[in-house]
Amino acid sequence: MTTVSLAMAVVVAALYAVGFYLLLQRSLMRVLLGVVVLGHGANLLLQLTGGPPARPPILGGSAEGSAPLADPLPQALALTAVVITFAMTTYLLALGYRSWVLVGHDEVQDDLEDRRIARRRTPTASMGEEADEQGDEVGVDPGSAAASGDPVGDRS
Amino acid sequence: MLLALVAAHLVLACALPAVAARSTRAAFGLAAVLPAVTLVWAAAMAPAVLGGAAVEENLAWAPALHLTFDVRLDALALVMIVLVSGVGAVILAYSAFYFGRRSPDASRTSALLLFFAGAMLGLVVADDLLTLYVFWELTSIASFLLVGQSGLHRANRRAAVQALLVTVFGGLSMLLGFVLVGESAGTYRISAIVASPPTGGAVTAGIVLILLGVLTKSAQAPFHPWLPAAMAAPTPVSGYLHAASMVKAGVFLVARLSPAFASSAEWWLPLVVLGLATMLIGGWRALGATDLKRLLAFGTVSQLGFLMVLFAVGGRLAAVAGAALLLAHGLFKATLFLVVGTVDKVTGTREIGALSGLGRAMPGLAAASALAAASMAGIPPLLGFVAKEAAFEAFLLEGGLRGGVVEVGLVAGSVLTVAYSARFLWGAFATKPGVDPVTPAPASPGLTVPLWITSLAGLVLGLVAPVAAVLAEAYGDTLPARTAEEAGYHLALWHGFNLALGLSAVALAGGLLLHTGRDRVAALTRRLHHRVSAQRGYELVVSGLERLAVLVTGRLQVGSLPVYLATVLLMVIALPGIGLVLGWAWPGDVPVVHEWIQIPLGIVVVAAALAMVRARRRFTAVLLVGAVGYGIGGLFIVDGAPDLALAQFLVETLALVAFVFVLRRLPAHFTERRRPRRAIQVRKGVLAAVAGITVGVFGIVLSGARTAPATASEEFVRLAPETGATNIISAILVDFRALDTVGEITVLLVAASGTASLVLATRHDRRRRGKVRASGSGTPAHEKEVSG
Amino acid sequence: MSAEDTRVPWPRWDSPTEDWMLPGDCPVTSERTLLLELAARILFPAVLVFSLYLLLVGHYGPGGGFSGGLVAGLAFVLRHIAGGSSEGAEIGARIRVRPPVVVGVGLCVAVVTALVPAAFGAPVLSSTKVSVHVPLLGEFEIVSSLALDVGVYLLIVGVVLDLLRSLGSGIERDALDAESEAAS
Repeated sequence: MTTVSLAMAVVVAALYAVGFYLLLQRSLMRVLLGVVVLGHGANLLLQLTGGPPARPPILGGSAEGSAPLADPLPQALALTAVVITFAMTTYLLALGYRSWVLVGHDEVQDDLEDRRIARRRTPTASMGEEADEQGDEVGVDPGSAAASGDPVGDRS
Repeated sequence: MLLALVAAHLVLACALPAVAARSTRAAFGLAAVLPAVTLVWAAAMAPAVLGGAAVEENLAWAPALHLTFDVRLDALALVMIVLVSGVGAVILAYSAFYFGRRSPDASRTSALLLFFAGAMLGLVVADDLLTLYVFWELTSIASFLLVGQSGLHRANRRAAVQALLVTVFGGLSMLLGFVLVGESAGTYRISAIVASPPTGGAVTAGIVLILLGVLTKSAQAPFHPWLPAAMAAPTPVSGYLHAASMVKAGVFLVARLSPAFASSAEWWLPLVVLGLATMLIGGWRALGATDLKRLLAFGTVSQLGFLMVLFAVGGRLAAVAGAALLLAHGLFKATLFLVVGTVDKVTGTREIGALSGLGRAMPGLAAASALAAASMAGIPPLLGFVAKEAAFEAFLLEGGLRGGVVEVGLVAGSVLTVAYSARFLWGAFATKPGVDPVTPAPASPGLTVPLWITSLAGLVLGLVAPVAAVLAEAYGDTLPARTAEEAGYHLALWHGFNLALGLSAVALAGGLLLHTGRDRVAALTRRLHHRVSAQRGYELVVSGLERLAVLVTGRLQVGSLPVYLATVLLMVIALPGIGLVLGWAWPGDVPVVHEWIQIPLGIVVVAAALAMVRARRRFTAVLLVGAVGYGIGGLFIVDGAPDLALAQFLVETLALVAFVFVLRRLPAHFTERRRPRRAIQVRKGVLAAVAGITVGVFGIVLSGARTAPATASEEFVRLAPETGATNIISAILVDFRALDTVGEITVLLVAASGTASLVLATRHDRRRRGKVRASGSGTPAHEKEVSG
Repeated sequence: MSAEDTRVPWPRWDSPTEDWMLPGDCPVTSERTLLLELAARILFPAVLVFSLYLLLVGHYGPGGGFSGGLVAGLAFVLRHIAGGSSEGAEIGARIRVRPPVVVGVGLCVAVVTALVPAAFGAPVLSSTKVSVHVPLLGEFEIVSSLALDVGVYLLIVGVVLDLLRSLGSGIERDALDAESEAAS
């Protein structure tokens, strides 16, 4: 009952592989092309799962009843996907363009804050501070009656 | 009524800050009324409840999930209400005079104390494991806020976080335990679980998890250090939460569930061992404390261990003793904390070394303390003595290895208890040579009357032991008695000269002996302490977790998009890929190709795609992606999808145009400022290839899993003429799945707006800056920082 | 002036010197090519009509709102490229409609189509057939869901026009700004 032929599986695999490879690059334009190629691969796979080549899902006409009808549902879904991929492509294009305008290149940068954390060895502050460590804090013992009394300044 | 009382606590707590804004004293006074009312109501219900008719109420919470607030008033709940509401009312009244009239903490503290009282009341009357859990965590949160106070002091913050981390860790594991036990039992009602306890492996695991919650909440070794640390809270708060009520929650839960689980070793063994250890450690550390409040805190730890042992073994007499001691401890420990508060208030110190001659200056206060301390030490005729006698008797009657070991442990613990009771009285009131006598400020009646109430209650209940006995024995009778003698034992002040009385005398004598050598003992406790302590362990665990968090974050969150994507891809390959290999099912009927025309089209697509990888110029790559798109369109035609192919061709053309529009302004070649290393590129290639192949193989294997030949979606085909369309695709798009289409065009609108905003924003920026800037010349500062 | 200056630079050898071949009232810009302008002049109306055909035939054969809209969009793209104008994104210079308005109108038509059945007590998005008799041409069957297709068509045309405005003219203007700055 297999609907995906060997040849088509090779095409899908090649599209996905190229898409993934481009997605892993640093150039935003390559990433964008990777998204487009992945979209092609996904649409093709969606369409292939609908069944082997068959008569277009249009009723009436001369070929009525002679051959099986192709499954219309994956086609409708793929059609939606094609148009949405296009919308996303234009958006990513604009994103890449803006990145180029602002920073002079369209490269995906590393997150600065993440790198700072990665470089750090120990936390800067700890919840498990040592009990004896009073720090630079001076003043009344917080558990004492004096701390719960009226504020000192008001006593007069 | 019971539920209404609980709710009233919580509601009134929310209103208290408004009252406190006018008068803090009125706020505390008002707060004290509600617990007092609760106590009176409980006393009114007591005859019926002790007669065997428990008061039950319930309120549907989330009926779909079978969640209800079940509450039940029985003997054990009555004992706890005396502590929660009775002692609570006394302490709230005391707080009115302890906190200054303009103290910034008073408003918050009054509201939180009342909120806590409500949560604790809910906890002790809960008859549903999940209801109990909710109130349990509410008390943890109230404790966190009360210990943390305004958060201005480091000591407060540290202690509050420690209390929260330890108790909530326990609480969460307890929740897991509750779920395991509740699911095994088929019900979350505690009374039902106790009536027919579930068994099995899951229950055993559940018990262990519940015990974690119990041990952390009741500050049992090795989780005990949070309790002494929590003494950073104001003294009335410590006296209420960390002596009389909240820390009893763990003990209370043990008492609740002992009738169900006491026969299994995984229940009583850890509790008895850790309870005895806690009793000894706490008592020993109390002997080294120089701060009266810390002394009492360690004393509380020790007494909690004692209570834990009594309730864990699940015998009738031990339980009776436990219930009596629960009552006694709440009364005498609350008294002593209030004494410390008053001493602190009138002298300004709690240090043993600084206090001298106070007994002579304030004989009344000293007398009240002596009564409470004597009850703690187990001296007749106080309630503490009655309870301790029963405890000694219980394990004497039990005998055997467990009885013997526990008896020895209890006597040793009692020796320490007597010693630190004596140390407290001596430390607070004695005239010490070489120390100037303190001159206390006059204490208002509000600071002494409340503590006399609790102190005298301990004496009266000791003298009229049958009153306490009714309560304690009503609970104890829910547990089996091993012998007739045990069954017939009644709490009383005088049982004649027997071994238990002898043991009490031994404890008293040993404790006083230990007290005479107090200086050496105190020095010894300090010398033995430190290197290895539970507090150090807690600090190591927390800082270790934080280091681990930094390490893991640093490794996982490296901030590089390719690394993240590669990780995702690896997971895609690894997880479903392993499943694919393990359940290998290659369909036998894979056709090489369906239509021969697919081969040249496929070659074009694959060749164009592979060429994209090598493309150096942007324009080349874009043209190649166009070729891929047109090739796919061709494949769609072959597949019998003319609509799809048409859309594909049109979209591809438009996309090409859009690409070219943008490419006009971008450099001709792909610019990589740092040339990627070859090894990394190869690795990326291999990863991508493997992922691609995985997808291809999945396509074949999964489509091979079909059990029937692929057919058209028949319903769509059948119904299409009704929509007036012969093109079924169109019928699906504008009729069957029209909502999808409306959603889709909305997405298009959003994307177009986004694109326009991104491009036109550039122009807007320039206009605002007032001068034209060459695009591509901007280099924000952060960019320099990243690239070093 | 030397002889060399009077010679037309080679990229402009086919620039038309007359305005009549420009579609509509497109302002004349520097870069014009005869071939494109002629093609645009001839194809533009034809392609628009074809796109309407695709829209209407969608129920019975390949086509529909998506394809029709895309084809119409391509017609405008052709005009934009031929006109090369920074203001070329309007539908005809005389009827100045801003692209976002077209997009909005498209979505409104679609949503109203979806909601109208609710006013008649039918589920949202349900459709009905109406038979119309047109003199001379005979019986027609019109499906109410055609309105949804019209909405999709308008929206897609609007989206493409908006792209021409942003990615097309917008970037072009950026480029001009950059050039003028480099020159100064």
